[in-house]
Amino acid sequence: MSTNPYIKQTFNIQKQSQLIRKDFPLLNLYSGDNQLHYLDNAATSQKPQQVIDAISDCYQRVNAPVHRGLYALADESTTTYEKSRKKVAQFIGAPQSEQLIFTLSATESINMVAQGWLKHHLNAGDKVWVTGMEHHANLVPWQRVCKETGAELCFIELTEDGSLDLDNATELYSEKTRFIAMSHVSNVLGVINPVKEVTQRAAQAGIPVLIDATQSVGHIPVDVVELDCDFLAFSAHKMYGPTGIGALYGKADKLATMEPMLLGGGMVDEVGDYESSWASLPSKLEAGSPNLAGAIGFASAVDYIESIGLQTIESIVSELTEKALFALSNINGIKIYGPLDSERREGIISFNLDGIHPHDIAQIAGESNVAIRSGHHCCQPLMRRLGEVATVRASFAPYNIEEEINALLEVIETAQSIFMPR
Amino acid sequence: MTTNTVYKEVLMDHYRNPRNFSDVSQSEAVHRGSNPRCGDDIKIGVDFDGDNIGKIVFQGRGCSVCMASASMMTESVTGASKNEVLELTEQLREWFDEKQGDTPAPLETLFALDALRQYPARRRCVLLAWDALESIIQVE
Ligand SMILES: Cc1ncc(COP(=O)(O)O)c(C=O)c1O
Repeated sequence: MSTNPYIKQTFNIQKQSQLIRKDFPLLNLYSGDNQLHYLDNAATSQKPQQVIDAISDCYQRVNAPVHRGLYALADESTTTYEKSRKKVAQFIGAPQSEQLIFTLSATESINMVAQGWLKHHLNAGDKVWVTGMEHHANLVPWQRVCKETGAELCFIELTEDGSLDLDNATELYSEKTRFIAMSHVSNVLGVINPVKEVTQRAAQAGIPVLIDATQSVGHIPVDVVELDCDFLAFSAHKMYGPTGIGALYGKADKLATMEPMLLGGGMVDEVGDYESSWASLPSKLEAGSPNLAGAIGFASAVDYIESIGLQTIESIVSELTEKALFALSNINGIKIYGPLDSERREGIISFNLDGIHPHDIAQIAGESNVAIRSGHHCCQPLMRRLGEVATVRASFAPYNIEEEINALLEVIETAQSIFMPR
Repeated sequence: MTTNTVYKEVLMDHYRNPRNFSDVSQSEAVHRGSNPRCGDDIKIGVDFDGDNIGKIVFQGRGCSVCMASASMMTESVTGASKNEVLELTEQLREWFDEKQGDTPAPLETLFALDALRQYPARRRCVLLAWDALESIIQVE
């Protein structure tokens, strides 16, 4: 099935995830019968001690205003902030650190591009393309900008197995298309989309592409030069970093022509009484006092990932996913969404059980300390396409162990024994 | 508390055999209650008999809690006056928000909901039908 060379070393992989698990204090709070089976990683990942320490160290040793003081400590805070930017920028292969803007979240990053860039490049009758599997964060901002400009929002639909139906999106690269926004990995289907294929053809047609990489950075290799995308958005909290900080990568020419959404301190050059000019990048797009502790935490999450190795993370998660998919697909009355081929997915599995509402399954799971999610996962348009109101979702991280798949299977068995018609 | 006690026989019975579960399109007043976040989507239909609830039905899809609560509601309010229903709805909310304690359910027919009071995440599921009925009465 899988050609991943790590898969063969099953024993080592399990040992690895046990080791990794030790780094996560929250998971180790619970033991024995109370052990927490955290399978809601696509919503937010847990944080390793290394990241927690880095944030705490920031406040104990480094804290001072960034880009504002002339004393030694302020120098250090500024240097550390910029070093963090460099770290995160390098992690995604950004040619220049200045191309990495710290934001509040992937959500903010995408909104910045919609309102700060695309809005100024759209006219009535133009087309903006998204896919039928987008998170609301990568849909609603485009809905608004299309409404505001009279542009048309178009959808790349899905095939039966939840892949993008690129073959039938015939107008995708047409002359009318001004922008394409798509996710790298779906937070519901787990499917890895062929983003490179799209950026290549879009580049030939001169169409900018934004990739929502919230579920891919830190999970699978992401290199913005190789992907050749114009914008890329992601959040630290989905990759073992803190909440409250995300990033926007942009090609230099795109960021240069981007209007700041937030105005205020730090982002200006000259401020007259009635008019002001903007600072250079990246400051132009980072108004207000920067999130120093967040940036430090973000960079330390990258350090953490690099210390384990992205390949190891991928191998562990892919092995868990393959095992879970196999076990789940043998359950009577289950429907699993997205491709069953684990090579084309990340560690996210959404499913439904005949005759049992997802909410009921998640509740029963919760009572067994199995943290899974039920709902629309911020993907209502996708739910409509799947013909469901909600799904159950389990998602894996490298600190998950095989035992936790069994815990999930037991939950399903319990749910079926309670709810199945007698 | 174990799962089996939560989904007490009573709740499960209402879920499996919902009372007054039928087409609402013939009802005098209809209101939809939906919670897209978890996928509950029901409609409540009422025929008034003067100031009282003459006939009440519901229709839709939802989790066991939402469906059972709607079913129990239809049994509990048939024949009640509008004011009685509004009062009962308020009492139910307060009772639910208390989360635990010895206060009995505002109506005996609703006692099984006690098992759910410790789950704040289910509040919306329990109250969805009641909120919809309240809206119907308030616009009447
Ligand atoms: C695919 C995808 N895009 C965007 C987001 C939004 O991320 P955030 O809430 O951190 O801004 C999420 C998070 O759920 C996601 O899974």
